[in-house]
Amino acid sequence: MEAIERFEGKRTGRESDLRDGGTGQPGTALACHGVTKRFGGLTAVSDLTLEVSRGKIFGLLGPNGAGKTTLIRMMLGLLSPSTGTIEVLGERVPSETILPRVGYMPQSLALYTDLKVRQNLELFGRLYGLSNALLQKRMAKVLELVHLSDRGKALVSELSGGMQRRVSLAAALLADPDLLLLDEPTVGVDPQLRAEFWDHFRGLAREGRTIVMTTHYMEESSQCDEVALLHQGRVLVCDAPARVKEVAGAATMDDAFLALVRDRTRNGGK
Amino acid sequence: MKASRTLAIARKSLGQIGNDRRTLAVIVMMPLVLILVFGYGFGGQPSHIATAYVNADQGPEGAALLAHLPSGTLDLSRVATPGSAYDAVHSGEDWAAIVIPANFSAHLLAGNATLTVYVDATSPTVQQAVMGAVESAIQGLFSKGAIRAPVVLSPSFVYGSGNETYIDTLAPGIMALVGTFATTMLAILVLVRERPLGLLERLLATPLRPSEFVAGHALSLTVVAAVQSVVLLVAAVLIFQASFAGNLALGFLILMLFALGNIGLGMLISSVSRSEFQAVQMIPFIIFPQLLFSGALFPIDSIPVAFRPISDVLPLTYAGDALHSVLLRGWGAGGVLWDLVILVVYSALTLGAATVLVRRQA
Repeated sequence: MEAIERFEGKRTGRESDLRDGGTGQPGTALACHGVTKRFGGLTAVSDLTLEVSRGKIFGLLGPNGAGKTTLIRMMLGLLSPSTGTIEVLGERVPSETILPRVGYMPQSLALYTDLKVRQNLELFGRLYGLSNALLQKRMAKVLELVHLSDRGKALVSELSGGMQRRVSLAAALLADPDLLLLDEPTVGVDPQLRAEFWDHFRGLAREGRTIVMTTHYMEESSQCDEVALLHQGRVLVCDAPARVKEVAGAATMDDAFLALVRDRTRNGGK
Repeated sequence: MKASRTLAIARKSLGQIGNDRRTLAVIVMMPLVLILVFGYGFGGQPSHIATAYVNADQGPEGAALLAHLPSGTLDLSRVATPGSAYDAVHSGEDWAAIVIPANFSAHLLAGNATLTVYVDATSPTVQQAVMGAVESAIQGLFSKGAIRAPVVLSPSFVYGSGNETYIDTLAPGIMALVGTFATTMLAILVLVRERPLGLLERLLATPLRPSEFVAGHALSLTVVAAVQSVVLLVAAVLIFQASFAGNLALGFLILMLFALGNIGLGMLISSVSRSEFQAVQMIPFIIFPQLLFSGALFPIDSIPVAFRPISDVLPLTYAGDALHSVLLRGWGAGGVLWDLVILVVYSALTLGAATVLVRRQA
C-alpha cells in the first residue's frame, strides 16, 4: 500500500503541468515503436510500428484476431508489450498521467447493467474528476448525441443491445478527452445514427482531438483520415484510405485488404 | 489515493444494491433469519425430556426428591415397577427412567441410599441434562430437612449473574458468525461480476487506481455491514432479550472491524475466481471451519486438543472472543487489545492482497 501511495502522490503532483500541451513530440498523439505482444506461444502483435497525428481519425482494420484489441489495450497500459515502446500524448505507456485525458470504449459492453444509464455516466464522470455542474452538463450533451436523453433513468439492462453500445460510447466521450480509443464503436448502431456519430467524430477531430478506432467494417473506414490494415499482428499497410485502395488496385477496402493479404502470402512474408 | 474516486466507487456499489429491492431485502433479512435460526434452533438447553419414574419409597424423601426436580427439564410419567421403567427406556419411549427404591428414606438417613437412573446415553446432551436434573434434586434434598450435605458448594460469579440464558452467552458468537456469512458473501457477489463483463478493465483505464477500487468497495460494503450489525444487535436484545453487561458501541465497532476483514476476504476470493460459480463454491470452505473451530458456537475447550491450533488461525475466533469479553464480561477496549490488533492485521492483509490482485487482473 505504501508504495502505491508514493506512486500516486507523484502522479497528482505532475498532473497539472502535463495538462496543457505537454506532449513530447508536438503533432503526434500516439506512437508505437517495434511493439510485439506474445501470449505464451501466440504472437498477437508482431514488431508493429505506427504513428498517429493529433486531430486525426485513425482506423485500425483487420479481421478478428488481427491484434486490434490487444494493441488498444497496450495503448492504455492495461497490457504491457513483450518488446517495444508505446507513447501516448507524449508519455511513455504505462503512465497514469495520461489516463485522465484518454476516453476508452471497450469491445465488451463494460457497463453496470444493474445501474441506470445516468448512474453509469455519473460513475465515469466522477472517476474522471468532473465537478457536479460540469458532469450534469456533459451528461446532457453526450446523451443527446447518442439519442438517449429520455432514457437516462432506465436500467442499462432494460435497453436494447444497440442502445447499450450507445451508452458505452457516451461514457467514453463524457470527460471530453484529448484521445479517444474506441474498440468497435459502431457495432449494432443503425446507419442514420452511425452517420451522426461520424459527424461528431469529425467535429472532435477539428477541435484537435485524436480518435483511434478499430472496426472490421472495412467500408466504414473510408471515412478515416488514415487507416492501418492489420493481419496476424502485423501492419500490411498504413495510409489514407484512398491511397490504400490505389496501391492495392482495388475499388473497395474489402478488396484492397484481400489483395494485400494475397501479396503478403505470395511473397513468403508472414 | 483520491477520496473522490473512492467515493464514486462506493456510490456505484450502493447504487447497485439500492436498485435491486430483493438484494436490499436480503441484506436486512439475512442477519435476522440467521440469528433466529441459530438462536431458536441452537440456543436452548434440552427441556421436556420424556422420563419415566417409579417411586417405591415408603418414607417422604422419595416424593421430596421428585418435587426438587427442576421444572421444565423432565416430562415425568409414572410406571409401576423398576422393570417397566427399564422397558420404557429400552423401547425408546423415554430417554430416561428414575427408580426410587423401597426404603429410600431410611437408607438416606443411614447414609447408604442408592438411586438408579436408566438413561439412553446415545445423546450425550440429553444424558447430561437428565443427570444434571437428578443431581440438582439430590442437592435440594440436603438443603432442608433432617439431612445436611457434608459439602456445600458455593459458586461466586466473577462475570455474569448465573442467570444467563443460553442465548445470552451465544449471542456474541452468533453475531460474529452471521457477520462472516453476510459480508463475505456479499463482497464475493458484488465483485465477481466486474471482471467477466469487462468492467474492471474499463475502470482501470480511467484515472481510477486499484487501491481506490478496493477502498471504495470496502467502504460501501462496510455501510451494508453496519446496517446488518445493527439488525443483529437489535434482534439479540429485543427478540432474545439477551442481557449484555458491556458496551454496545464497542461491540458494534468490533463487528465493523471484523466486517472490513471479511470484505477483504470476499474480494480476494472473487478476484481468484473466474466465475460466480467458482466463487460461490468457496463459501463452504470459509463458513464451516469457522462454524466448528472458532469457539463461536462450541467452546474451543470442546474441540479435540489436536485440532485446537486451527482455531488460532481463524479470524472469527478473535472477533468472537472480543465480542464475548466486551458484551458479556463488560471489558473495555484495553482488555481485548490483542483481539483488536489481530483483526486490524486481518483487514490490512486481505484488503492489501485484494489490491495487489486487482492490479494484476487488469
